[in-house]
Amino acid sequence: MTHRIRDEWVKFTFIIPALLFFVLVVVFPFIRGLNIAFTNWDGIAPTYDYVGLRNLQLLFTDTELLDPIKNTLLFTVITTICINVFGLLLAVALNTKFPGVNLLKSFIFMPMVISLVLAAIIWRYIYSDIFPILFQTDGGLLGNPTTVMIGIAIICVWKEIGLAMVIYYAGLQTIPKDMYESARIDGATSYKQFTKITVPLLLPAFTYCIPLWIGTGLRQFDYPMVATKGGPVHRPRRLPCMSITMNSLISKPATDRCQPLCCLYLF
Amino acid sequence: MNTTHPAAATVQVQEPRPRRKWSQILRVALLYLIAILFLFPFYIAVVYSIKTPVETAQSPLAFPTHIAWSNYAEAIEASNFFLALRNSVLTTVGTVALTIAVCSMAAYVIARNNTRFYNFFYYLFMSSIMLPFQVLMFPLYKTWSELSLLNTIPGLIIALTGVQIGYFAFLYVGFIKTVPKELEESAVLDGASRYRTFYSIIFPLLKPINSTILVLSALGAWNDFVVSMILVQKKEASTLPLVQFQFFGEYTSQVNMAFAAIILSMIPIMIFYLFAQKWIIGGVTAGAVKG
Repeated sequence: MTHRIRDEWVKFTFIIPALLFFVLVVVFPFIRGLNIAFTNWDGIAPTYDYVGLRNLQLLFTDTELLDPIKNTLLFTVITTICINVFGLLLAVALNTKFPGVNLLKSFIFMPMVISLVLAAIIWRYIYSDIFPILFQTDGGLLGNPTTVMIGIAIICVWKEIGLAMVIYYAGLQTIPKDMYESARIDGATSYKQFTKITVPLLLPAFTYCIPLWIGTGLRQFDYPMVATKGGPVHRPRRLPCMSITMNSLISKPATDRCQPLCCLYLF
Repeated sequence: MNTTHPAAATVQVQEPRPRRKWSQILRVALLYLIAILFLFPFYIAVVYSIKTPVETAQSPLAFPTHIAWSNYAEAIEASNFFLALRNSVLTTVGTVALTIAVCSMAAYVIARNNTRFYNFFYYLFMSSIMLPFQVLMFPLYKTWSELSLLNTIPGLIIALTGVQIGYFAFLYVGFIKTVPKELEESAVLDGASRYRTFYSIIFPLLKPINSTILVLSALGAWNDFVVSMILVQKKEASTLPLVQFQFFGEYTSQVNMAFAAIILSMIPIMIFYLFAQKWIIGGVTAGAVKG
């Protein structure tokens, strides 16, 4: 009996290191955050009071906070659709043999390996310096509140489409070639082959990719943060998400927004 | 009336169709065009980094007539490049080593013990996959400042490891369930302890998933911006993405030099990518398919 208890304990020790890190980094801060959501803590002050559900109420009455929520949803829809549709099309187009096909695949995946900061900074200069030459626009894609979302979405799609492409490509490899052959003999057009064979058999890839980018979109923070440098507090109103959060933390102005924000992320 | 005679059908399929060939050429050409479009931002970054401000103003797109290498020398000095590189390497190595050690062990007992007790930990770890990091941002910052872990490399490593645990433990559990039990059972019968069994028998069998996780967590740690942005605000512990971000804030007037700094910090990850390309793409898709 004691031997069994000892063995159970030995087994449990395997999980302890992971648990320690996890509790310290995720569980404990999460509980603290939950706590903050019900207080009037401003992010810096040593003391705070509990205010119940007032923050939640603020969240739904403050129109400045509703804007980023709307923007986040729109951003998610745009990027999820673009990344998945174009990623799938690229995967299908690259699923043939021609000279340089592997090179093209690695080029399209390349933006995925560089850091987001690099991607956003490079694109900032493409918008401001190169776009005016190529498209005769004023180039203020990121400075203009109505187009900033498109600007950030382009960066996001450019960077992440490679991942969608390789996942769909891997999915395509699992589809047996003779299915297409027999479909062709039966006289199916390539469009029919795509909708009746490729799409249904790629279902596992879809169920991975679509939630992945919905999640990425909804949690979006870093693209707008880097692309627009965080911006002054009043500016990011129309940005996808929450540059306000960063600002209040880094530049530490007393802000009355950080508890509603904690609330926002929790609910 | 049966017109589709089997022999006739095969003949029809094998008949060469010139229209198809043209569409194939068109498609390949289009794909090359798309690839060039994808590379265009990289071209801009390179070209900017080797131009003088005068040339940039004259024609941002054109390749320079004479290459200004001095941008690079200035960038190395002004951005404290080697310190940031060292910090990035230390952070990445530490995070990857810890993640693999800690996650594989935990996943092993979770995968092998299908009890309510261990399933609880499985779901606990997994629940963090969908958790937005922003939820943890404020409280993590506060906790780290209380523990004096702010602005330190170990602090950053611990945070990055903790954030990654959910996803990688999940991948490990999936993989370990496919590893046959017989080998470890015979080791236990031979009197090996659980630790010994794990390190000499199980861990070597995990080679495929270990390399996947090595690649994924190395890319994640190397490119991380949000976690390090919150926890590091001083130069001593800044990693490359942080230095680039701050550098561009300070040197907006010296765009060319700043772009040289960008190219410099891109070089290590690009070399890694070129040499480990198959491995990276394989790792990413393995993570996707098994996840």
